[in-house]
Amino acid sequence: MTLTDGNANISGVVWASKLAQLSYRPKDGDGVTIVGKLNFWAARASLTVQALDIRPSLSTVLRDFERVRQQLEEQGLIDPARRRALPQRPGTIALLTSVPSSALADMLRTAAERWPMTQLLVIPIPVQGAVAETIVKVLNKLASQATTRGLEAVVVARGGGSREDLAVFDHEGVCSALATFPIPVITGLGHEDDLTVADLVADHRAATPTAAIVALLPDRRSELQTLENRRRRLKDGATSRLRQERERLMQRRAALQLQSPLQRISRLRETLHQKQKLLEALSPDRWLQRGLALITGASGEALTAVASVKIGDQLTIRMRDGQVTTRVEQKQAPQRSKRS
Amino acid sequence: MSPTKKQLNDQIKAWRKDAATLSYEEALQALDLLLNELQNETIPLADLQQQVLHGEVFLDRCQSLLDTIEQSIVQLDPDTLTPNADA
Repeated sequence: MTLTDGNANISGVVWASKLAQLSYRPKDGDGVTIVGKLNFWAARASLTVQALDIRPSLSTVLRDFERVRQQLEEQGLIDPARRRALPQRPGTIALLTSVPSSALADMLRTAAERWPMTQLLVIPIPVQGAVAETIVKVLNKLASQATTRGLEAVVVARGGGSREDLAVFDHEGVCSALATFPIPVITGLGHEDDLTVADLVADHRAATPTAAIVALLPDRRSELQTLENRRRRLKDGATSRLRQERERLMQRRAALQLQSPLQRISRLRETLHQKQKLLEALSPDRWLQRGLALITGASGEALTAVASVKIGDQLTIRMRDGQVTTRVEQKQAPQRSKRS
Repeated sequence: MSPTKKQLNDQIKAWRKDAATLSYEEALQALDLLLNELQNETIPLADLQQQVLHGEVFLDRCQSLLDTIEQSIVQLDPDTLTPNADA
């Protein structure tokens, strides 16, 4: 192979014995980082790079990321509308990560703190290098058993490292398998700033493996608080029901008492008394007390106008303390006011 | 007729036995159902005490599940998806 930085070239070799150990095979034009040694061939006066390890450079990784992202977008596999809701309190979940690893240890510790009721199925997978086929194989096998195993979600996790180390999670096959997985997929890959195509196809992208468990499992402490609230509601519910029933009983007792004969007679008496007061208020006796008199004719009709009496008519004048009988001797018509 | 103390104790034992088979979510759902009935006043007054005791059985079941310390962790062989012998 020929290595170039665009200006200068140098030839490179990978011995057959080393080739089998390489996890990455560069294609023409790929940017690479090579660990190797320089061999000087005196006979040909040439310098050759003997590669011991070849890894894709960041530019190569990002180019692959863009290519696969575009490809899966065209296939409709990267679409926010496809994202499914995570189960609230999953009974069983699968953790796909390398074993042993700090990512797994973090996830197990977080799961134990938050929600120990969930059964964890740990499935070791390689997470670096040319391991895409292995991961796809595991994913396909697990997908076919997800329902029978009662799996409710899958976490794919890998601890921090360089962006290049996450290249396998940009692999088209891995990402397609994750996108079409029958149950929700949560990714917790690398650092917070790292974004892989696997994150884009997942139902939920967590910044780290620990964050993936936090997103998926409920918090035991807040759940205990919820239970405490329910316990209070249970007690309050019974107490409040009893109080309501007591109040209803008191209302009925009061209603019953209102219907008792003594209460009814008392109410009738009160009504009668009020009417008596009203009658007194409307009685002409009040006017007589104030010095006015009531004049009635011979047949007892009340007289209110001079025109209704004739000379010689007998009138009865009723006053505050008695009455007098008299006759009309003279009438005087009311005086009309003069107009100017 | 209200149950005797012995009958009530036997009843609570039976409830606890039934609740022991429930998952956290099932016990919580049963509790919420009972709470709703309690709030809607559909429970006859004579059954009120029993219902509260039944609710407490569900609550205790949830609480005991929350107090679980041991998490079930099974490591599977990636090729066969069967449990590892050394797990």
